[in-house]
Amino acid sequence: MSTSVAKEGKKMRCAVMLKPSKRGSNLLALTSRRSFTFSGSKILDRMAGPTPRQAVRVFDEENNDVTPQPFYRADLRAEPGSRFLVDELSAGSTSDQTTFTGSFTMPFSRSVLDSSRISSQSTTESVNEEMEETFCRRDFPFNLPESLLPDEKRKKGSVKEQMTQALLKGIKDILITETDTISLLDIPPTLVSVNADDADVIIEINKQYSEVCRNRRNNEKYVDRAVQTLNGATKNKQIQNNLMLMVDTATIVSAFEMYAPPEQEVMVYSPEMKQTNDAETIVDSRRSPERSLSLTCSASTVISTCSLKDVETVGSSLNTQVDSERIMTSDKFQFSLLLMERTVLRNNFQSQLAAYRKLPLLQDPDRLVKPKEKEQSEAETSCSPALQCLWVFSCELSRGCRVSSMAWNKKNPDLLAVGYGETDYRNHGPGLVCCWSIKNPMWPERIINCDSAVTTVDFSSNSPGQLAVGMCDGSIAIHNVQSTDNKSPFISSRECAKRHLGPVWQLRWNQQELSFTGEEKVESLYSVGADGRICKWFVINGGLDCTDLMKLKKMNNTLRKTEQNKPEKTAECVLSVLTPGLCFDFHPSDSNIYLTGTWEGNIHKCSCSNGHQFLETYRKHFCPVNCITWCPLHPDVFLSCSSDSTIQLWKQDCINPLLSFTSNQPVGEVRWSPKHATVFSAVNEGQLEIWDLNSSFLDPVIVQPAAPGLKMTSLLFASLTDCVVVGDSDGQVTVYQLQNLHVGESSQAIHRPQPRKKNKSCKWKSDMKTNKTTYAKY
Amino acid sequence: MLTELAHAEETLKRIEGHKGVIGTIIVNSEGLPIRTTLDNSTTSLYARLLCSFTTLARSTVRDVDPQNDLTFVRIRSKKQEILVAPENNYLLIVIQNPSE
Repeated sequence: MSTSVAKEGKKMRCAVMLKPSKRGSNLLALTSRRSFTFSGSKILDRMAGPTPRQAVRVFDEENNDVTPQPFYRADLRAEPGSRFLVDELSAGSTSDQTTFTGSFTMPFSRSVLDSSRISSQSTTESVNEEMEETFCRRDFPFNLPESLLPDEKRKKGSVKEQMTQALLKGIKDILITETDTISLLDIPPTLVSVNADDADVIIEINKQYSEVCRNRRNNEKYVDRAVQTLNGATKNKQIQNNLMLMVDTATIVSAFEMYAPPEQEVMVYSPEMKQTNDAETIVDSRRSPERSLSLTCSASTVISTCSLKDVETVGSSLNTQVDSERIMTSDKFQFSLLLMERTVLRNNFQSQLAAYRKLPLLQDPDRLVKPKEKEQSEAETSCSPALQCLWVFSCELSRGCRVSSMAWNKKNPDLLAVGYGETDYRNHGPGLVCCWSIKNPMWPERIINCDSAVTTVDFSSNSPGQLAVGMCDGSIAIHNVQSTDNKSPFISSRECAKRHLGPVWQLRWNQQELSFTGEEKVESLYSVGADGRICKWFVINGGLDCTDLMKLKKMNNTLRKTEQNKPEKTAECVLSVLTPGLCFDFHPSDSNIYLTGTWEGNIHKCSCSNGHQFLETYRKHFCPVNCITWCPLHPDVFLSCSSDSTIQLWKQDCINPLLSFTSNQPVGEVRWSPKHATVFSAVNEGQLEIWDLNSSFLDPVIVQPAAPGLKMTSLLFASLTDCVVVGDSDGQVTVYQLQNLHVGESSQAIHRPQPRKKNKSCKWKSDMKTNKTTYAKY
Repeated sequence: MLTELAHAEETLKRIEGHKGVIGTIIVNSEGLPIRTTLDNSTTSLYARLLCSFTTLARSTVRDVDPQNDLTFVRIRSKKQEILVAPENNYLLIVIQNPSE
């Protein structure tokens, strides 16, 4: 203080020269003059440091620079808004002693600066922008409340947060809190109940008042007069603020969302509480009362549900991972996936499945029908019998594997078991069994890997989930297809000592009536193998064991004539070597009788009760008999096919075949149609043949050639529909639909066979026709 | 556990590969999609809308008969079909274009 006084005193004495500058001089001169006039105050605390701009310089007689420095030396290139006058004063960059004085001179400088500000406003045309800014900034600290903390503010101001890309993209948690309710105007209502004590008084007053209001207009007592109020001068104030971002969100809430039914809450609650994970239970228990809320607010945006509690926000983000694991491993999810896949495929295969199930075809009204398709559909309405390919069961697992056998499930007519495996003697690679469902033509329901190539499959009738699989290495395995875990078979015959030594060529489940009770149907598994034995299997000690039913002995190898008049019935065996049995079939009504076909070409009729002798032998084929099948609609007729490219139709009590049909290649399988007694189907390597004995004896009615490079190997009729399922050597199982197969009326001329045959065949045909009507219900 | 997860993953991938399937979304109980093959905006749109729709459908079924429950929801529109398999703790959504 003393120094400043001394300085001023010195100034008073000296004459001072003002050197006017180029611009802003007026202002500065003004200010400097002002400052001089007010020099009584000790404001001039000079910053001896360099100023950014020196418009006017004042020198005294001794050429000392006595230019009054601006009170606030604004370094305008730096952050303008964050510097405070106090900071500058207290920074002590140039003047160290002035800190203390600065604070003291502040109240005095206020008046100076205020007036200077006014002066700056008055001289607007010469206003130097920077100066104005300086003055404005000088005002800054004085307008702030008293709770000014210089250091803190300075730090805050100088550290500016760098907005990086990462920060922009990151998720910011915004905490919204509610302030206390601020009442701006609170006029309590003056309502008085009618039943109050002073109600009458108030009513009276109200009446009087309303009367006054009514009479006011024309009453002389009241005069309208206007009054002018005195309004104070307004002052404009500008402040600067950060832009507030506004976000609009909306949601739709309906009445049902506001109520959560109590049972739903409980159901959701209880599985959560069973979690053994502690952290989860904590979060869940806190979440469960909110769960009803979150369920009902599920339509709203995520932020609203998560912002209820801090814990919840943390918990939900952590739980998403755990959630997905938990959801995807649950059983219900597997079922949902199954359902979803079937629905998606049903959409894709809708027309084919409708044709399979004999439902009328629905046209999708929104589907764009191309004109080409229309023409094709019109041209296809021909009347000749034909096969239409509906779809192909094929997946990448089965590609390349030869289909060896197929079987329908007895209980679920949509389930088809297909056995794959190379049954040549060359390679005994691993085998595969796939259970396909009609509802999913793209992927099998069950996949069972077998150690050896699969030769035959059959489903049981008594327990429909059991599938017996016979393999090339002679073992038989029984799998349970109802369980999804198909690693190990239910039972296997691997350890059985009496198992087949060669490939098991056919398996059959057969129900046998116990003779004394006559009612129980015990089902047993029978098999015929390459070692010439027909065995009956039963379960003992968790494994399979068998008893021999029949041994197929080699018959006399004398040259047989092809005439049918040779009733040779030699049952003597020349050699005691057994011949491989390739197929067998039980009689549909009398389960004691069965037929079996051998490698030699003989067909033997055997009985379960007699294990040593054949009841009958039918000789016609001279190559291995590949398949034998009884006609399901006629009790005594059966068909046999063989590698000598012929199919023979036999009657039970006649040792010569009734009819024979020739094919061009070795016939692999032959099957009767379950619906029409005169229709059967045969498959050889090159083609699929459908024979209709009503139409023709010599040629099949429909011939479907195999795709080039593929050999057809296996055949089945579908039970409830008129479709045929064919397996081929590439692992594909094709479903064909029989179309326009008019049975009962023949449009073609029937070739008359030889007289002898004719008698038998005519008789047989008439039998068939009558029986067909009887069994038409099938 | 692991094989079940692998089996579920495999089945889901198979569904996504079927003809006409545009995308699949799995949504948890809070309406957050946990697995999706569509882009984010579409996913959140479908998840939000179908959650409320499924809840409405379920409450309708249960209002009519309280012992009944919703098992599947199919919305067939001109251009596509939305299939939803709802459960208590998740929603499996598949969008398919059937007429291709």
